[in-house]
Amino acid sequence: MQAEELYDSIRAGLIAMLPRLKRFADLLTGERRAGVALLGRALKYMLAEEHRYQRGTALDLWAFGEIYQLWLKELRDHADPLGRAETDDASFALLFPKGSGETFDTFTAGFLRGLPPQQRLTLLLVYGERFDHIEAGHVLDVTPETIGARLVRITASLADQLREGVTVPASAANAPIEGPR
Amino acid sequence: MTELSDDLLVAYVDGQLAHKQTSALEKVLAQDDVIARRVVTLKDAHRRLEAAFEAILAGEEADAAAQPVPRAPGLFIAWDTLVKGGVAAAGIVIAAGLLLAGYGWPLAAPEFAGRPAAMETVASLPPDWRKEVARAQALLGRASLEIGVDSQSNPDFIAFQLGQAVGSELTPPDLTAQGFRFTRAQILTFGGEPLAQLLYLGRSGAPLALYVKKGGKSAAPQVMRHEAITGIAWSQGGVGYFLAGESDEASLLRLAEAVRSE
Repeated sequence: MQAEELYDSIRAGLIAMLPRLKRFADLLTGERRAGVALLGRALKYMLAEEHRYQRGTALDLWAFGEIYQLWLKELRDHADPLGRAETDDASFALLFPKGSGETFDTFTAGFLRGLPPQQRLTLLLVYGERFDHIEAGHVLDVTPETIGARLVRITASLADQLREGVTVPASAANAPIEGPR
Repeated sequence: MTELSDDLLVAYVDGQLAHKQTSALEKVLAQDDVIARRVVTLKDAHRRLEAAFEAILAGEEADAAAQPVPRAPGLFIAWDTLVKGGVAAAGIVIAAGLLLAGYGWPLAAPEFAGRPAAMETVASLPPDWRKEVARAQALLGRASLEIGVDSQSNPDFIAFQLGQAVGSELTPPDLTAQGFRFTRAQILTFGGEPLAQLLYLGRSGAPLALYVKKGGKSAAPQVMRHEAITGIAWSQGGVGYFLAGESDEASLLRLAEAVRSE
């Protein structure tokens, strides 16, 4: 494949995936504006560094991984990474389309907002993107076992809150602490 | 009561178990109400999470599929194309008029300052619409067509392309609260450098255009006029902005403030 053809195919592929990439970035940052900005920077980087893309790799896996790695790098470079990772309710609620009526689940949206970004993405990749644990682990740079453990913990936590009839979902601070990778 | 871990139950709900394990677990579920209720709750959690992610994606896809220009029945292709072309042409003409009127960028452009022969060619045209069009044509480059009509409904792609051209993050400002709807964007060329043009339409009247170009020292908004067109120019963060339209000065200043606060 010629370099120009490769560039065009990657660009076309990324454009076709934009809604999915945007959902990923939005859930990672917890808000639309920051998600769009992150996605823009990541797309620019991916096209500039397109030679890093290995043929045969699923483009979506690569793209999600690049967005995540960029977010992680920027988070590490930030003066107040913990403060930067916080998301407020109103901004997070905007991730859900207005006028979606019955499909808007305030409880689950609140639960997702309270999760750390990496845990939100774990859920998204497996339940939203239908990736298997190996693929999700590849994107988030963790083992498949970590993905599986996160799913059990988060799903069980949500189930507990549903069973107990909690009106306001518990924040991430109430979720069990994840062990070392 | 049988003791079964959430690991196993979640794997069952997620469909991760082998057939034999699934069958064995379903036998337990048929006999143990406590575990059966736990599975029901886990399934509910699973369903809610899937639905939440689907809802977000549906919103993103709806945004991407939204048509910026409504289609008129009966004149589907021709009218649609005509409206889009007309808006683009109007923007280019506004751009040409404003830029050539001496608002900064043309004065430093080699095409205008350093190539008198080229200017003579333009000047030899009759002083009619062709003269304006010839000037507008100078603003077009290959990059002008890279944001195709089909991509105009995709704000992320537009922001990405504009950001690449201008060298700074550039998401089209949302002016719907001010009564203007974003319709399209393109990258013009001025002095060999990219010049982003973002076009908006109000409920009536001429288009509103926001021009963005890399460079320039920070400067507070200034009002500039050329015939029927009023413009607000300012610079911030190493990027120059020019908001132009046929609205009155006060309205444009309010719009400029809305853009600056985005």
